[in-house]
Amino acid sequence: MGAVLAAVLGASLVGCSSTGGKRAEERAAQAAEGRSAVDTPRWTFAMVTHSGDGDTFWDIVQSGAKQAAVKDNINFLYSHHDEAQQQAQLVQAAIDKKVDGLIVTLAKPDAMKAVVAKATKAGIPVITVNSGSAESAEFGALTHIGQDESIAGEAVGDELDKRGRKKALCILHEQGNVGHEQRCDGAKKSFGGTLQNLYVDGTNMPDVQASIEAKLQSDKSIDAVVTLGAPFADAAVKAKDSAGSKAEIDTFDLNAKVATALKDGTLGFAVDQQPYLQGYEAVDLLWLHRYNRNALGGGLPVLTGPQIITADDASELAEYTKRGTR
Amino acid sequence: MTATQALVELDDVSKFYGNIKALEHVSLEVHAGEITCVLGDNGAGKSTLIKIIAGLHRHDGGTFLIDGEETTLANPRDALDQGIATVYQDLAVVPLMPVWRNFFLGSEPTRGAGPLKRLDVRLMRETTRAALLRMGIDLRDVDQPIGTLSGGERQCVAIARAVHFGAKVLVLDEPTAALGVKQSGVVLKYVAAARDAGLGVVLITHNPHHAYLVGDRFVLLKRGVMSGSHTRDSITLDELTRQMAGGSELEELSHELERATGPAPGAAGS
Amino acid sequence: MTATGQPASPAPAPGAPDERLLRTSPLRRLLGRPELGSVVGAVAVFLFFAVVADSFLQASSFGTVLYAASTIGIMAAPVALLMIGGEFDLSAGVLVTSSALISSMFSYQMTANVWVGVFVSLLVTLAFGAFNGFMLTRTKLPSFIITLGTFLMLTGLNLGFTKLISGTVSTKSIGDMEGFGSARKVFASQLTIGGMELKVTILWWFVLVAIATWVLLRTRFGNWIFAVGGEAEAARAVGVPVIRTKIGLYLGVAFAAWVSGQHLLFSYDVVQSGEGVGNELTYIIAAVIGGCLITGGYGSAIGSAVGAFIFGMTSKGIVYAEWNPDWFKFFLGAMLLLATLLNAWVRKRAEATA
Repeated sequence: MGAVLAAVLGASLVGCSSTGGKRAEERAAQAAEGRSAVDTPRWTFAMVTHSGDGDTFWDIVQSGAKQAAVKDNINFLYSHHDEAQQQAQLVQAAIDKKVDGLIVTLAKPDAMKAVVAKATKAGIPVITVNSGSAESAEFGALTHIGQDESIAGEAVGDELDKRGRKKALCILHEQGNVGHEQRCDGAKKSFGGTLQNLYVDGTNMPDVQASIEAKLQSDKSIDAVVTLGAPFADAAVKAKDSAGSKAEIDTFDLNAKVATALKDGTLGFAVDQQPYLQGYEAVDLLWLHRYNRNALGGGLPVLTGPQIITADDASELAEYTKRGTR
Repeated sequence: MTATQALVELDDVSKFYGNIKALEHVSLEVHAGEITCVLGDNGAGKSTLIKIIAGLHRHDGGTFLIDGEETTLANPRDALDQGIATVYQDLAVVPLMPVWRNFFLGSEPTRGAGPLKRLDVRLMRETTRAALLRMGIDLRDVDQPIGTLSGGERQCVAIARAVHFGAKVLVLDEPTAALGVKQSGVVLKYVAAARDAGLGVVLITHNPHHAYLVGDRFVLLKRGVMSGSHTRDSITLDELTRQMAGGSELEELSHELERATGPAPGAAGS
Repeated sequence: MTATGQPASPAPAPGAPDERLLRTSPLRRLLGRPELGSVVGAVAVFLFFAVVADSFLQASSFGTVLYAASTIGIMAAPVALLMIGGEFDLSAGVLVTSSALISSMFSYQMTANVWVGVFVSLLVTLAFGAFNGFMLTRTKLPSFIITLGTFLMLTGLNLGFTKLISGTVSTKSIGDMEGFGSARKVFASQLTIGGMELKVTILWWFVLVAIATWVLLRTRFGNWIFAVGGEAEAARAVGVPVIRTKIGLYLGVAFAAWVSGQHLLFSYDVVQSGEGVGNELTYIIAAVIGGCLITGGYGSAIGSAVGAFIFGMTSKGIVYAEWNPDWFKFFLGAMLLLATLLNAWVRKRAEATA
């Protein structure tokens, strides 16, 4: 048993290092120190997300899920594709594998509807994470763990008001992501000033920076920029500097760089949805369902955000962002 | 041997590309069962002449007669329909395609009708083999890509193709240019075979030896102008070689020596 | 001036087999097939995953693999033909999305029977194909540039129009509209045979590959495709309608894009306007793995199907084998290189022994 576990963890260590570099290695090493705390059979849970290749956000989700998997004696599988059809095929492949539990994201809910139904019909419990709070129950999932994007957006609008901002820019780095639209729409709704959307190509960082820079140059009255992902905050800061703008940069999500930037005041605030929690809770809740038929949320989505993080909170979070769990 | 009516006749034909004179005042006749050789060095206007006969370009001056009637060819298809088939030096074939597909390219026989209209593959394969055999080419496998044949064999396939499709006039662009002595001989044999089959042949070459071996009429081009027109009985190989500047150094040398005694018309080398 | 105008061939018994033809062993004939490399590769990939992934051999898994392969293969077949004809189509991926968007939005906005939208989409998609072909033959620019232009324009049009008309980046659901049921049957239904779920796209795929193969090997048009890709000038000189052939090939790609697009729409009721980018390379890769020469003039439609199958096996096999999917692209790249090398080697061998 121990040998098998060691082998699996060794394999997961090899797997992690492909995306996460040194940090992921350390993380896996930390996980390897853990022992499974339960004596349930070794179930297999699969997570299928709409992530693109090499996205740090999903690294954090995965590390949470893996931590829970170690604790709950789960064989955890992860796959992803940013195209709806491909993601649906990956879910189908997981069903073919007869996994014991399924965690999916519903960024493109219509594409996932049929295949999620198929999973529940095959008796595989499904938990949705991250995006899809509106559709989760309808599709037959046990529960949804994530952040309501509209509420998160509204929180941003309120925070901008609190900081006395008048004209904000919402940077969408993924054209076609409904959740992103909801964030900006939510912010627009609660924000007292005006908010404009700006689409950039998230796969091309220099282009992101150049687009924001151009916008800031052409409109000097913009006093706040909200990016929808942590890596883009950095690009926005650079754009602000070279455009000579006085705008405050705020962002959704968190990473080590954002935490440092918050601490030194480069960034105004960050809206965290605690990705680690989404991965961890999803695995843990599936385990609870299998083990004890427990359910959380009472039919309503379990919200992991929004959590507004400012300079004060940042210093105590820095340690966790550095190891890749926040 | 001399037909009363020329199959193709060019009379005082000229061609300009913008203000560049590519061809000026060129006349030639092609008769059935005869070989008309067009000789000239590089840049003499041979390829322009070929393109006019093949229908790729239109002439700008003079008259172009086919079977005694004045015509202007619209495109290569038009030329083919009039019975003029052209075999280009390097554009003769599609190298990766099997011999039989090449043989029928552009004129594929079909069977069936409507959506079931399909290539008559059997007929194509057998006809290709038979037509090549008739020209004396014995091919092991008509399914091999034509690019695997030697240059001479490829020329022969192209000639056989033209003969098979009932061409009346065969235009050959430098068929021996890239070939060795032996291969050249083989190709010339098939050129003669085509002539014997009753075709009128236009043989474009810069090699007077090859031309004199099979030719009946000789037209010499120099810098886009016709510098001489002879029938076989009115000229010797030496004279032809002499008039045809360029070639081996030896010819050049003898040419220089002859000029010392008395310059021949149009002897200035290029 | 017809092929049959010649008197009966005087050659000795043309029907009789030439004894030297025996030298062409079936093995050499097999080696000469363009898809050979890909078939060897497919068998290797299949055996590999059969060993390392225990759930790979299940009937249901096989259905999933076939489905994944079919969604690529439907496009790979006409793309292969186009490549044999010596051209590329970088707009093929987004054209699929465009086709689905047109169909969906037309039906929705006009409140028409969805079949009307499907039909309109067919016409518009074919028009895009014709545009590619027409621009290519008119401007004589490389197809890489022309279709790169259409690719970018379509990507923009997809997003722009969808947001303009629907207000969001995806279309509104047409699932409750008249004709949806029957259209779904045609484009996105499924059949269960012996525990294996077979999507209708697999049927479309097989039919399209069969037609493409028939056209390529047994029709005049097919002969012209090889010729324009192998040596366009020579083809033109012998009277092959080069321009018509190329436009026809682009229409073929457009037609398949329409089929794929309708499948996308009727599987999911709605269409994401930003999708499809990058898939054009997938189709080209499938065609190249299947033995298409990147410079044109050589290849096969069946090969493209085998290439798509390798794609399907690899992308899903990695899941069945419980591997980190991050390795998928590496696998694919290695496969592409190996297939191309194998192909080049096989062809050289085949030609050397000719």
